[in-house]
Amino acid sequence: MSERVRQLRRNREKSVFLRISAVLLLSGIAWAWLTSRPLLGRLSAERRWENFQSFVSELGPSPVRKSGDWSEAAPWAWDLLTDEGFVALVTTLGIATSAIILSATFVLPLLPLASRQLSRPSPFGLWAGKMGFVAEGFRKTVGPVVRFGFVLARAVPEYILAFLLISLLGLQVWPLVLALAIHNLGILGRLWGEVVENAEAAPAVQALASGQSRYGVFLSRLLPANFNRFLIYFFYRWETCVKDATVLGMLGLLTLGKLIALSKGFFWDQMFFYILLGASVILLGDLFSTFLRRRLR
Amino acid sequence: MMGTPGKYGRRRWVVLGIGILFLLCAKDLGLTPSGLIPPDATRWDRAGSFFSAAFNPAFDYEDPNVPDDADPIWIKGIKGVFLTLKFALGAMSLAVPAALVMGFFGSSSWWPEPRGRLLNGVLRTIYVSCRFLMSLLRSIHELIWALLILSAFGVSPLAGMVALALPFSGTLGKVFSELIDEETREAATALKAIGHRPVQTFLVGTLPGALPNLITYSFYRFECALRSSAVLGFVGIETIGLYIELSHEEFYYREVWTYFYLLLALIVVVDLWGAGIRKRLNADSGGCRV
Repeated sequence: MSERVRQLRRNREKSVFLRISAVLLLSGIAWAWLTSRPLLGRLSAERRWENFQSFVSELGPSPVRKSGDWSEAAPWAWDLLTDEGFVALVTTLGIATSAIILSATFVLPLLPLASRQLSRPSPFGLWAGKMGFVAEGFRKTVGPVVRFGFVLARAVPEYILAFLLISLLGLQVWPLVLALAIHNLGILGRLWGEVVENAEAAPAVQALASGQSRYGVFLSRLLPANFNRFLIYFFYRWETCVKDATVLGMLGLLTLGKLIALSKGFFWDQMFFYILLGASVILLGDLFSTFLRRRLR
Repeated sequence: MMGTPGKYGRRRWVVLGIGILFLLCAKDLGLTPSGLIPPDATRWDRAGSFFSAAFNPAFDYEDPNVPDDADPIWIKGIKGVFLTLKFALGAMSLAVPAALVMGFFGSSSWWPEPRGRLLNGVLRTIYVSCRFLMSLLRSIHELIWALLILSAFGVSPLAGMVALALPFSGTLGKVFSELIDEETREAATALKAIGHRPVQTFLVGTLPGALPNLITYSFYRFECALRSSAVLGFVGIETIGLYIELSHEEFYYREVWTYFYLLLALIVVVDLWGAGIRKRLNADSGGCRV
């Protein structure tokens, strides 16, 4: 019995690549912990503790801290909401929604060009007619180029992108929308690309064989059949956009992030309130999106 | 799933609705095409010099005040890349174990069966509070966590790592719990039938099957952690983001591009590495899991 077990163990699948990856990651972690000095910063332990205590003591609503009466918290919160909170909330949601719709609009027409099966001289392995040198070269290169474009687009962190765009376009909503849209273009490109890749091939092959173009196949077969899967990813990324739009405001636009950044250091109670407000919006967006995605599944 | 006329109609309405939603948002935000053009001559110049610097990244400091004994810019940039990597690795090494614990208590497939009312109540309470905790951790962005934690404890590498690890553990934990619960139950049922205890069943029958997906998803989040740790440079933690911000403040656009290209190279390499791991573990990308 144990001989058999040993034999099974010897013959199991092994991958050098995975082993090297594991060693690299683990030694990387050890390196990170051993070389991050000073791990706790330069402050003394007492100083940190004092910092922490004064920070916590200022988180409660200021009228409540003065009078000790929690009934004063509600009007205080309402003031903050009607003053700028609601506007900031709506702006945050608007930025997230328009950004994700924008990137979806640009990704869709690129998908047939990015698809590993469609975007090649012989789509799905079917002979697609005689091709000139140029046309064949185009069919061979366009797929990897578009896919690499997606990789680049998602490699740029949206916060850094927004920061750079603001200095070029001025402080307005476009830089934030564009930053989110570009980053999500790369991510939707990958996620939707996988949907197309995993789609059932038979209907597409049949349509191709009967003479439809690549775009025709995409629009008439692949897209309608996988519509719900596309929507699931769409809503998932929308939800992430809401979260990111909140903090992009820290760059200076009226979303919750700006209110948080402005009240930081002076009005810790307000900052804490806006943080909780943001968290509850994200929580709601999360629930809404999870609900929709479940229904679509 | 498809082919019924009613569904085609619904799809059309969904697309139309999304289009209308975009127009509404654009109107509310004041998104007009003219906003895409830099507003004045200085901005035009700045945009011009910024984008022309893309083809001409700095191989030497543009800043005249750099001391002579400083590292050459590409060494500084590569150090920045390694700091970013180090920070992300540190944060992930905190987040993954925390997520494993929360993922276990946030899943239900290991619950013993049958169970008494008391046990059922206890398990349900743990399950619900664990899921709530994970949502809470997730719904505050890492930058805000950083703001809170750095304000409370002062700037330090550990504080930054914890700030990044908190929301990541929430996300990872939620996905882990779902991956565990989605795992097929056949092996677990068989083990239970021959008398294994629930925890044994979980460790031998459920976890190994879910492991490839857990690993690839963790790696995917590692890619995200790299981006986030670059961003945390903007709140003062020393990663390559800090260098980008400082050079950008001084309008040294060619330096910005040098750092930017190095950051891109790091992220693209790790992205390809992740694709290799996914392929070998035969798991899905888990991209849409949160």
